[in-house]
Amino acid sequence: MIRPTVVYEPPALRHIHPIAALRGLRQFFDLFVTLSLHRVNVRYKQSRLGILWAVLQPLAMMIVFTLMFTLVRANPGGPVPFPLFAYAALVPWTMFASGLTSAASALTSHASLLTKVAFPREILPLTYIVAALVDFLLGALVLGALMVWFDVSPGWHAFWAAPSILILTTFLIGLALLLAAVQVRYRDVGLAMPVLLQVWLFASPVLYSLDAVRASLPPPLYFIYTLNPLAGIVETFRRALVLHQAPDYAALLTAAIVALLLLPIAYVYFKYVELTVADTV
Amino acid sequence: MTPLDISVQNVGKQYRIGAARERSTFWALRNVSIDVARGTSLGIIGRNGAGKSTLFKLLAGITAPTTGRIVLNGRVAALIEVGSGFHPELTGRENVFLSGSLLGMKRREIASKLNRIVEFAGVERFIDTPVKWYSSGMYVRLGFAIAAHLEPHILLVDEVLAVGDAEFQARCLQRIQELKAQGTTNLFISHDLTAIERLCDSAVLLERGEMAATGAPADVVATYHRRLIAHANAPGEPVAKALKSGITVTNLATWDPGDSDSIACRSGGPLAVTLKYEATRMLPAVEFELRFYAADGTTRIATLQTGEVSVDVPGGTIEFAVAALPLNAGSYFLGAVVRDLASGKDLGWWDGETRLHVQEGQGRASEYQIPHTWRHVQADAGERTPAASVRSKPTG
Repeated sequence: MIRPTVVYEPPALRHIHPIAALRGLRQFFDLFVTLSLHRVNVRYKQSRLGILWAVLQPLAMMIVFTLMFTLVRANPGGPVPFPLFAYAALVPWTMFASGLTSAASALTSHASLLTKVAFPREILPLTYIVAALVDFLLGALVLGALMVWFDVSPGWHAFWAAPSILILTTFLIGLALLLAAVQVRYRDVGLAMPVLLQVWLFASPVLYSLDAVRASLPPPLYFIYTLNPLAGIVETFRRALVLHQAPDYAALLTAAIVALLLLPIAYVYFKYVELTVADTV
Repeated sequence: MTPLDISVQNVGKQYRIGAARERSTFWALRNVSIDVARGTSLGIIGRNGAGKSTLFKLLAGITAPTTGRIVLNGRVAALIEVGSGFHPELTGRENVFLSGSLLGMKRREIASKLNRIVEFAGVERFIDTPVKWYSSGMYVRLGFAIAAHLEPHILLVDEVLAVGDAEFQARCLQRIQELKAQGTTNLFISHDLTAIERLCDSAVLLERGEMAATGAPADVVATYHRRLIAHANAPGEPVAKALKSGITVTNLATWDPGDSDSIACRSGGPLAVTLKYEATRMLPAVEFELRFYAADGTTRIATLQTGEVSVDVPGGTIEFAVAALPLNAGSYFLGAVVRDLASGKDLGWWDGETRLHVQEGQGRASEYQIPHTWRHVQADAGERTPAASVRSKPTG
């Protein structure tokens, strides 16, 4: 058996090597699998409605917003029925919102484990993101059922859904690592989360289309709007599956760049906080 | 030269205490340097709060040092609190996988060792029961079994040997000896000084976060006892003038009346315990109670009581004498309370930490030590002269 050499030194950002940290993760891949399975099990085993919970949240929001827009006689959905228009965006949105909420408190909710066992701490938030991905898959199945119901078939643009979810997962991991690390010192993060997500929902093209935003905002403001990666991601996902449209390439590229810039920065910061997380958590 | 598996170089750990505004810092560890060669065992001893657990957390990689550097060569298994990676809702089997993977084991590796782990822990019948229904003994046994079967290069154990029944402890010690024979490097933190002496090749005494002694386990344990006695005999803190209850225990010390230089008593030998108290008013009817605790500090194994005692200002001493100590070799704790006989209320108690270190006596270790005498009666065919044929010899 190989003898690894481990060195523990006072925390310093220059000692953080993200590549080496990733390599160290390999040994704990089985822990990641075990904890992820556990996470999914706990979510669905111990509740009466079980896996229904994964789809109830986006469905409920879809119904509420459909009723609302029916009352004010508006149809931001254009050619597709509004319930389908909204639900197609609510599925990736719900993955983001529930994944971020649970993963951002992954360290603070495991204080007793963190002070007694040493293991790569990023595994904890990552397992919540796996659970959010499982929720997403179930939500996508319901989306398929709705498409059959409304007689909307996906075209060849549908493959764009895959890169949009890949970018969403990347962004979610980066932001969750960052917020989980910040929350160790500032519990405000957990308290601010519901407000943040509420504002974020309306700042993303979930209940309206990105085209509507482009039509009403001057170009510089529109660019700032698309710096929110959810803009490009959600719009691409909906266009791909229910609108039969190519993505808004500029918005999707912006989302990809933001996600790819955030991830390494967040990871280094997380590994830095990890060194003393047991003292502060 | 044997390679070093653990190298602690000038390590210090500073903690912040208090809330944001009135924040202050203190050093839980300072200037600690320890080397442990491959295949050897080191014991860390010291009073509560001496920095033992902090050092352990640094070695286990749970938190980073504030100064210095720690180098570990090999795969580490650290047991800080048995079963700390357990999830109460999961079954024993699921927890073996969870806990094992927290220690860095592969699922396949765990699966191949599952039977041995379960058998070692003796929980075969309950392996598919959620661990929240386990007794604390089962919990501990399963936790240790997992770590001991990881086959680490370096095994770190914090205060685990003090729990579990005698038979399981013996099995743990045997397993540790096996690992040692395979070349595992061990580091133990324990209150059980006998175990430290038996298992370790060297020991370190920590005091207020600094190294107070280092060397052969017997010497370090002896130093520790000398310091504890010196501490116990030091003039106590001045008692608060307006003691509400009127009485407090100011000191509790033990010694071997047969050998006043000795730092420990012998199993089956005599023991004297002196309890000093201060009283701020006359109390007509109280009783003093002396309590013996096992090495874990919580399991009470014996209680001695005085009868009715009348105490008065300024105080006095109660002397307990035990002719033949019925305790096996090991470490124990002593406690004392003074109680009002009329109301049954505890008026005062001993806050300090009094340890009793018992060395092996003449008899063989067994569960109970029964004070006894014996004689031999030889049935002979000739003249009956009892005085010549009956010999009697007291034993301890």
